[in-house]
Amino acid sequence: MKIALTGNPNSGKTTLFNSITGKIEHVGNWPGVTVEKKEGPVKSSLLPKGQSVTVVDLPGAYSMSPYTSEESITRDFVMDESPDVIVNIVDATNISRSLFFTTQLLELGIPVVVALNKSDLNSKKGTIIDSALLSEVLNCPVVDTIATDSRNSGLGDLAEAAVSLKLKKAKQPAPAFSKGIDPNNKEEAEELDKKRYDFVSSVVKRVERRTVSSSSQTGQDKLDRIVAHKWLGLPIFAAVIWVVFSISQSWVGPWLADILVGWIDGFYGLVEGVIGEGTNPVISSLLLDGIIGGVGAVVGFLPLIMVLFFMLALLEDSGYMARVALLMDRYFKKIGLSGKSIIPMIVGTGCAIPGIMATRTIKSERQRRTTAMLTPFMPCGAKLPIIALFAGVFFNDNAWVGTSMYFLAIALIIVSGLVIKMITGDNSVSYFIMELPEYRFPSFKRAAISMMSRAKAFIIKAGTIILVCNALVQLLQTFTWTGQVVPEGNPGASILAAIASPLAWIFIPLGFGIWQFAAAAITGFIAKENVVGTLAVTFSVTNFIDVEELALVADGSQVLSVFGIGSVAALSYLIFNLFTPPCFAAIGSMNSEMESRKWLWGAIGFQLGTGYVMAFLVYQLGTLFTQGTLGSGFVGGLIASALFVGVIVLQISKTRKYDVQRNLKAA
Amino acid sequence: MTLNEGSIDQIYRVGDVKTDDPGMKEFLFSLGCYPGERICIISRLSSALVVNIKDARYSLDSDLASAIILSDGAAESLVV
Repeated sequence: MKIALTGNPNSGKTTLFNSITGKIEHVGNWPGVTVEKKEGPVKSSLLPKGQSVTVVDLPGAYSMSPYTSEESITRDFVMDESPDVIVNIVDATNISRSLFFTTQLLELGIPVVVALNKSDLNSKKGTIIDSALLSEVLNCPVVDTIATDSRNSGLGDLAEAAVSLKLKKAKQPAPAFSKGIDPNNKEEAEELDKKRYDFVSSVVKRVERRTVSSSSQTGQDKLDRIVAHKWLGLPIFAAVIWVVFSISQSWVGPWLADILVGWIDGFYGLVEGVIGEGTNPVISSLLLDGIIGGVGAVVGFLPLIMVLFFMLALLEDSGYMARVALLMDRYFKKIGLSGKSIIPMIVGTGCAIPGIMATRTIKSERQRRTTAMLTPFMPCGAKLPIIALFAGVFFNDNAWVGTSMYFLAIALIIVSGLVIKMITGDNSVSYFIMELPEYRFPSFKRAAISMMSRAKAFIIKAGTIILVCNALVQLLQTFTWTGQVVPEGNPGASILAAIASPLAWIFIPLGFGIWQFAAAAITGFIAKENVVGTLAVTFSVTNFIDVEELALVADGSQVLSVFGIGSVAALSYLIFNLFTPPCFAAIGSMNSEMESRKWLWGAIGFQLGTGYVMAFLVYQLGTLFTQGTLGSGFVGGLIASALFVGVIVLQISKTRKYDVQRNLKAA
Repeated sequence: MTLNEGSIDQIYRVGDVKTDDPGMKEFLFSLGCYPGERICIISRLSSALVVNIKDARYSLDSDLASAIILSDGAAESLVV
């Protein structure tokens, strides 16, 4: 049998789903974390013997008439896929709104069980709900649950109630307040909804006793006035971002990375000892330098990524995200976006794919597409190793390099937002409304679970895609086109060099026209972790992290000489990799959210152009300031950059002309 | 008077929602913001308002707050 989990946003559906299935789907404390449906089997320990139940977690919805696209997923599922039982998760602190949706669900003819969730919060506030009476007036079972508490959660009772309801033959009668009303008539439908709310109010009056009115000021409201303050809000947000990234990149992350790299080094030595001297050198270098070296170079940065995910999970759990959206709305409106656009961007600092999917909660199509296009500019977790590597090699592990990349990303998003607003010529402003969830002290346990599941995904990726890519890169640089082993001292004769060299000249104006860098930038499209892996393999550097000193990169100057570029070119390469299109998986996700080929190709072209022009500016201006002359390939790069800017200007003027014509016609 | 002109800690009754966006009107309805319902302004933060509708807090921008018309003479001070 199949159970659907439905309820208002942020009522705890996914938390409950995780508890009853044992899965680790992403949770957070703001409305709109879940934007797609997810399925899983209910743990057998919660069920009567011999039963098997599938449960479907759905995005939150306020009613059966969807406002944003993720809400329609929920409506469509309960309407079309006829689940056997609907479990309606009701936020016990807010039944006066939640029961509106409940009454709509009760009319579908599908058995409904109400899970009165967050019932622990009510006892803290002194609110009492008579769930037996509620069950009686709604004609459906009501179970008190606490989805965040694994021991005392009421989940067994909930599963039992759902199963026994399915076995019952008698139909569940819906509350009768809608008699004689034709829901297809618009006016009557409005009348019906008013009656529905009247019914809900009468139910609430009977079953709920509050000691404190919900409209009185609380400590939470005081906190809101500080974190979303006109002047204090932005500096506080900047400080929060700085703390998150510097803890993961400069403090805790590198310290853990050192320990891990020690183990990888030990493993390298162990394998080296086992295979011995007698093995074919091609095979042993494939195994040692290609696979262990390449994958190891990437995995060495895993602790940084894990710490980042841990910090992000704490942030998402606190309730701060909704305040950031409120805070940013004022600024994002100016660039044609909505305050809600900041949430995909923050989620995107972990991974761009869930970030892009989070754009579903944005109502306006243009804002949604623009946000999906700009979210990949935020450096994701997979780009962290590139930042850490270049900050370590060329900039002495300075924390400012890493954090400044995030602020540069924000600056780029602002400029790009304005440019896209001008290209589309859409000046419409849309309303902003968002529910503010209550703050809570973030759970370290939930953050640790989220971190471990992301780490697992990362290790699987390192052991599959990244391993294959590194092995392939190693093979391609070992052999020439004729199948010979590349002669010592002439790495340029390899297949890889032959493929990457023609591309390298495009990068001359950016300061890194070297085939190894070109190869790494290309493998980066498969997965951004590959950039570091490919650099490690092609430059034969087995690990970048020093175990002895507490430094992210082993003897920076040594790696520096191997790389053969200066720090200005290095910064340009870093910027190029951060701001060009994301990996293929993220591009796929952009495709499905934008639902438009034109937008997708426009976005890819825009990202490529932005990455190129930014890297060009950094390299040429940087060289001018440090050495007093322009860098190599200036003219070529200038032409390419001018072309990109020219195309954009052309698009904007086309839009303008069209607008003028339309206005004339209208007049 | 619109919601945007209301004062903090006052409970008002919604008179009307005047917007060209029919989806928004319906959405506000599903939150419990419709003619005759109570709405309370909690605070004013930069350009947004924080309001209490039913038993939940929402932030909304001044454009939306200006689209919510309050009914006359229904203001009541919140007794703390």
